[in-house]
Amino acid sequence: MQTSDLIRILPEIILAVAGIVVMLLGAFQKQNAGRMHPAIALLGLLGAAGAIAYQYPWRSLDPAFGGMLELDAFSAFFHILFFLVAALVVLSSSEYVAQERLASGEYHALLLFATMGMGLMASSNDLIMIFIGLEISSLASYILVGFRRGVATSSESSLKYFLLGSFATAFLLYGIALMFGATGATNLTEIHLALQAEQNTVTAMASPQLTPLVGPVPTALVGLSIALLFVGFAFKVSAVPFQIWTPDVYQGAPTPVTAFLSTGSKAAAFAVFLRVFMVALEGSAQDWVWLLWVSGLLSMVLGNLAALLQTNIKRMLAYSSIAHAGYILVAFTAHSEEGVAAVMFYLAAYALMNIGAFAVVSHFGNRGERYVEMEHYAGLGYRAPLLAASMTVFLLSLIGIPLTGGFFGKFYIFRAALHADLVWLTVLGVLNSAIAAYYYLRVIVFMYMHPAAEQIPVERVRPAMGFVLIFSMAATFLLGIFPQAVLDFASQAAALLLENLGNGVL
Amino acid sequence: MWLIPILPLLGAALNGLWGKRLPLRGIAAIAVGAVACSFLLALIACLSLGDATRMEVYFPWIAGADFQVDFNLYLDPLSAVMSLIVTGVGLLIHIYSIGYMSGEKGVHRFFAYMNLFLFFMLTLVLAGNYLLLLVGWEGVGLCSYLLIGYYFRREDAADAGKKAFIVTRLGDLGFLIGLILLYTTFGSLDYLVIFPEAAQFPVDSDGSGTLTLIGLLLLAGAVGKSAQIPLYVWLPDAMLGPTPVSALIHAATMVTAGVYIIARSSPIYVQAPEALMVVAVIGCITALYAATIGILQTDIKRILAYSTISQLGYMVMACGVGAFGAAVFHLMTHAFFKALLFLGAGSVIHAMGGEQDIRKMGGLRKKIPVTFWTFLFASLALIGAFPFAGFFSKDEILWRTFTSSTGGGRLLWVLALLTAGLTAVYIGRLVFLTFFGESRADPEVASHIHESPKVMTIPLIVLAVLSLIGGWIGWPRFLGGSNHFERWLEPALAAPAAAHAAGEESLEFLLMGLSLAVAALGVYIAYYLFLKRREAADRLAQASGGIYRLLLNKYYVDEIYRFLFVKPLVMGSTEVLWKTLDVGAIDGAVNLAARTTRSLGNALRKIQSGNIRSYAGWVVLGALLLIGFMVTAAS
Amino acid sequence: MYQALFFLFAASAVGFAINLLIQRHPIHSALSLIGVMGSLASLYLMLGAEFLAVVQVIVYAGAVMVLFVFVIMLLNADKEEPSDRSKMAKYLGLPLLFLLLAMITVVIYRQFPEDAMVQFGDFPGQTAAIGRLLFRDFLLPFEVISILILIAIIGAIVLAKKEP
Repeated sequence: MQTSDLIRILPEIILAVAGIVVMLLGAFQKQNAGRMHPAIALLGLLGAAGAIAYQYPWRSLDPAFGGMLELDAFSAFFHILFFLVAALVVLSSSEYVAQERLASGEYHALLLFATMGMGLMASSNDLIMIFIGLEISSLASYILVGFRRGVATSSESSLKYFLLGSFATAFLLYGIALMFGATGATNLTEIHLALQAEQNTVTAMASPQLTPLVGPVPTALVGLSIALLFVGFAFKVSAVPFQIWTPDVYQGAPTPVTAFLSTGSKAAAFAVFLRVFMVALEGSAQDWVWLLWVSGLLSMVLGNLAALLQTNIKRMLAYSSIAHAGYILVAFTAHSEEGVAAVMFYLAAYALMNIGAFAVVSHFGNRGERYVEMEHYAGLGYRAPLLAASMTVFLLSLIGIPLTGGFFGKFYIFRAALHADLVWLTVLGVLNSAIAAYYYLRVIVFMYMHPAAEQIPVERVRPAMGFVLIFSMAATFLLGIFPQAVLDFASQAAALLLENLGNGVL
Repeated sequence: MWLIPILPLLGAALNGLWGKRLPLRGIAAIAVGAVACSFLLALIACLSLGDATRMEVYFPWIAGADFQVDFNLYLDPLSAVMSLIVTGVGLLIHIYSIGYMSGEKGVHRFFAYMNLFLFFMLTLVLAGNYLLLLVGWEGVGLCSYLLIGYYFRREDAADAGKKAFIVTRLGDLGFLIGLILLYTTFGSLDYLVIFPEAAQFPVDSDGSGTLTLIGLLLLAGAVGKSAQIPLYVWLPDAMLGPTPVSALIHAATMVTAGVYIIARSSPIYVQAPEALMVVAVIGCITALYAATIGILQTDIKRILAYSTISQLGYMVMACGVGAFGAAVFHLMTHAFFKALLFLGAGSVIHAMGGEQDIRKMGGLRKKIPVTFWTFLFASLALIGAFPFAGFFSKDEILWRTFTSSTGGGRLLWVLALLTAGLTAVYIGRLVFLTFFGESRADPEVASHIHESPKVMTIPLIVLAVLSLIGGWIGWPRFLGGSNHFERWLEPALAAPAAAHAAGEESLEFLLMGLSLAVAALGVYIAYYLFLKRREAADRLAQASGGIYRLLLNKYYVDEIYRFLFVKPLVMGSTEVLWKTLDVGAIDGAVNLAARTTRSLGNALRKIQSGNIRSYAGWVVLGALLLIGFMVTAAS
Repeated sequence: MYQALFFLFAASAVGFAINLLIQRHPIHSALSLIGVMGSLASLYLMLGAEFLAVVQVIVYAGAVMVLFVFVIMLLNADKEEPSDRSKMAKYLGLPLLFLLLAMITVVIYRQFPEDAMVQFGDFPGQTAAIGRLLFRDFLLPFEVISILILIAIIGAIVLAKKEP
C-alpha cells in the first residue's frame, strides 16, 4: 500500500469519517444535533467531491490496491453523480426527517455509508470488491427503507427488500464463485484476458495441487456464471424479470429514500453492470446481448403498462422506474462506446428529474405521507403554482419532451441503438415512450384540469427544498439545452473504459 | 431575428409568474405588446429579406464528431410568410381575446399559454433544422392541449385536451421515426445540408426507396397535426376550448403546421412521387369527407371545425400535386378568413350568452351588424367568390390540380370541385340560419343580444379587410396580375420536374367560371333549403333518410372505430399491429388502452400479490430462464 | 477414503439444512443449523483449508449460534404456524428449485470430466497464504468490511430501539 492508494480512496474515507461523526454527534451534543447532521453530511459530500476533483485528470491514474480499484473517468463521473444525488436527498429530506421524527443521526450516517458503498461499486475493478461495495450500499438501503418504524408498510417493504435482495445476492455470489472457478481470477481485467486467451490464469507454479485445473476456460461454466451475475445485477437495477420487489419497496419506503433508491442505487448498479459486462465479459457479448435485449424490452413494456393502472403516485413512479431501466438497457444492448455514453447520460438526466419529482411528492405528501394518491393532486396547479410547475417540468422530462434532459437521454439511447442496428428494439422503444406519455400526463391533468375535491393543505416550501426544486429544474433544462458538456464527459469516460481493454493493458 | 420567438416567451414568463397580481389591463398589455413587437420585427425581417435567404446560427446545440446540430433560425420566403401569418393573425386574436376573456377567471394563465404557444409556433416555422422544428412541434401540441383543457372544470374539455394530445402524438411517432431516418440517410438534420443532398438523389419512381419512406413518415406527423384522415377525430372535440383558441390554434396556425412541414420538405417530396401521390389522395378525400359532415352539424363551432379539416385537406392536396406555392397561398388566405369566421362565431356566441346551436339562432343580422358583415365577408372568401381572397387561392389549387401531370389529376379536380359546392352549402346554411329569418332564440336570451365591444369588433374588421384584399397579391397572370406571391415563394420551394402542362388561359378561365358557378349553386341550394322553404329541407331529410342519418352521425366513425378496433380487441383479438398501432389512432384509444391493460393489469396484480415467497418463486423462475438460455447458447 | 468422507459430510450438511427448513420449532431449526455449519467445517478441512474450518466452528457454530439460541430462548418463541398463502411457492417452488439445481449440476458435470477434479486431502496447510492474501492483496476489502459490520450494527439499533 502506498500513499497514492490512500488518495484513490480518499473520497470514501471522507464519507466514512463524516458518517461516523454524524453518528457520534448525538452522544456529545443533544441540543442542536438535528440541525447539525445535514450540515455535516453535506460537508462530507463536498469534501469527497473535492477529493475526486483533486485527482483530475482521471485518465492517467494508476489502478490502486493492486488493481482492486480503478479511479478512471468512468468512476469519477459516477462518483460525482452519487454525491450530487446524495446531497439533493439530504437537502430535500431535512423537513421530512423532522416531520416524521426519524432518527436523524442514523439516517444521515446510513445515507453517507450507502453513498460510500456506491462509490466503491463505481470504482471497483474486482468482483470481490464489487460485491462488498454492493453489500454496503444494499444493507444501508434495506435499513433506510424500514426507517418509518411506526408504519407497517415501511417495515414490511424493508423486510421484503432485505430477503429478496439477499436472495438475489446469493445468485450474484455464486456467479462470482463460478467465474473464479472458470478463469482463476476475480480481477475484471484478468478475467477479460483469460477469456480472450481462452486459457485460465491458474498456473501450476503456485501450487502443484492445482495442476488439473490448468487449461482452457470451460465455456459452459462461463455462460452459467454470466447468467447468475446477470440475475444479481438485473435485480439491483430492477429490470424484468427481477423487478418484482420494486413497486412494494418504493411505495413503502420513506419518499426521500425512494428517491435515493431509484436514482443513486440504480445508477450504481448500472455502473457495475456496465463495468463487469463491458470490461470483463466483452468477449462473450454475442451471448449476453440477447439477455439484455429481451430484458430491456420486457422492462419497458411491463413497466409502462403497469404504470398506466396505478393510482398511487409513488407506485406509479416505481413502475416508471422499471420502464426507465428498460430504456437504459436498450442503450446497453448496443454494447458500444456510444451505448455506454448514452447509459451514463441517461442516468444523470434521469437522476435529476426523478429526484425533483420525488421531492415534490415528498413535500406534498405531508405528515405521514397522507397525500400520495393521484386524486390528491387535483387542482394543485392553482393552490401551489410553483410546486405544480416544477412537477410538470419533471414529468415532461420523464416523458421526453424536447428542451428537457429526458429528451436528449432518450435521443442518445435510440441513436446508439440504431447505430448498433437494433432497429426493432428502437422502434419498440419509441413506441413505449409514447405510451408512457399517457400516465405522466394524467398527473398533469389532475394538477391543472380537475377541481380540488377536498382542501388539502400545502405547506410552505422551505429554502432547502426550494433549492432542490430549482436546482433539479435548472439542471433538467440545462441538460435539454446544452447537453454537450455532460455528454462529452460521458463519451470520454466510455472511450477510456473500452480503450484500455482493446490494448489489454491497465 | 431570435427576438421574434423570444418576445412571446418573455410575455408568457411575465404573465405566468406575476400575472396573478396584475390587473387585466396590465396582463393584456404585456401579452399584446410582446406579440406586437415580434410582429413588427418579423415584418422588418421580411422586408429586408429581398430575394436572399438568411440562416442565423447562434450556438452549437449538439456537437458530436459525426453529428452536429446548432441553434439556428432560417428565414426564407416560406418561413417569412408563415411568421407573418402567425404573428399578424396572432396579434389580432390577442386583441380580440381581451374583450372575449374579460370576466373569466385566470386570464393571466390564458394569456401566458397563448404567448407560450406563439413562441413554440414561431420556433417551429423559423427553425433551421428538423430537431429545433421538433421542439416547436411538440411545444405547440402541449400548448394546444393546455388551452383546450382551459375550462378544466368541464370534464369533457379536459378529455378533449387529452384526446388531442394523444391522437396527435401518434402522428408524431411517425414524424420522430422519420427524423431518425433523415438523420441516418443524410447524416444531418440541417435544412441546408439535407435539401441540396436530397436533390442529388435519383427520383424514387417505384416508391421503394428511403425518400418515399421518409416522405410517408413525415406525412404521418402532418396528418396528426393537420387533422387529416384518419387522425382528424381530435379537432372537432378540440372546439371545447375558448373560441379565440380555436381561431388561433385550430384554424389559423397550429393545424397548418402539417402543411408547412410538407411544403418545407418539398425538396424531399419532389424526389418521391409516390409519397406525393398519397399526400394528394389523403388531402382530397379529407376535403370532401369533412365537407359532407359539415352540412348537418348544428354546433356553430363544430361546423367551422369540419370546414377547417376540409380546407386543410385542400392544402394538403395542393402539396400532393406539387403546387406547394398554391398550398401556402391558400394557407395564408385561409388563416385570414377562418380566423375571422371563428372570431365572428365567438362574437355570436358572446352575444347569445353562450348558445352555440345554430337552430336556436336566426335574425341576428340587424342586432349585431358588424359581426354580420364581417362574417359575410369571411364566408364569401371561404366559398371563393370573386374578388375575395379565397377565390384566388382556391382557384389556383383547382387549376393546378386539373393540370397536374400525376395520374388522376382530373379525378381529384372533380372531387375538389364537388367539395367547393358542398362548402358553399354548409357555410350558406350557417349564415342563413344564424343571421337571417326569424329569431328562434328564447325571448329571454333574445332580449340580451348586443354587439360586442370595440376591442372585439376592430380585429374583426381588420380581418375582414384582409379576407377581401389578402388574395390580391396572388392575382393570376391571365387576369392582368402577375402572381407576385408565388414567384416570391419560388426559391424556397422545390417544384416537381415538368409536373404541370402549360395550360391555356381560356381553359383556366373556363374552370374558374365553373367553380364560381358551383359555388353559386351551392349557396342557392342552401338559400332554398334553409331560408326560403324550410319544410323542403325536412322533406329532403326524410326522403333521403339513410344518407341523412349517416351524415348527421358523422358517418358513424366514432362508432365504427369502436366496433372495428375496440370490440374485437376486447373479445381477445390479438392482432399485434392493431393493438399497438392502428387502435391507438382512434377515438377509443383511451378506453382501449385502459381495457387491454386492465386485463393485463389483473394478471400483473396477481403476480404482484405482496407475498414474499411468491416473489422469490418468480425470481427463481426468471433465473432459470436466463440460465437455460445462456447454457444452451454457450454449448 | 476421502471420497467416502466427503459424501458423508456433504450428505449430513444437506440433511441438516432440509431438517432446518421443515422443523416447526425455532430451537430445532437453530440446532440443525449448527449441524450444517459443523459439516461444512469438516468439508473445508478436507480441502486443506484448516483456517477456514476453525473459523467456521468458532464464529458460526460458536458465537453466532449461541446468540441465536439465546434470543430464541429469551423471546420464548413457540412453534410457527405454517402459512400457505402463496400458491406459487407451494406448487412451483420445489420443482423450480430442483430444475435450477439440475441445470447447474449438468453444466458443471459436463464441463469437468472426472480426472480433472481436485483430489481431496492432498492440500498442504495454507493458513499463512490466507494471511498474506487477506493482509496484502485483499487488504482493502478486508478493511472495508468493517463499514459493512458497522452498518449492520446501526441497523439493528435503529430498527429495534424504542420510540423516543
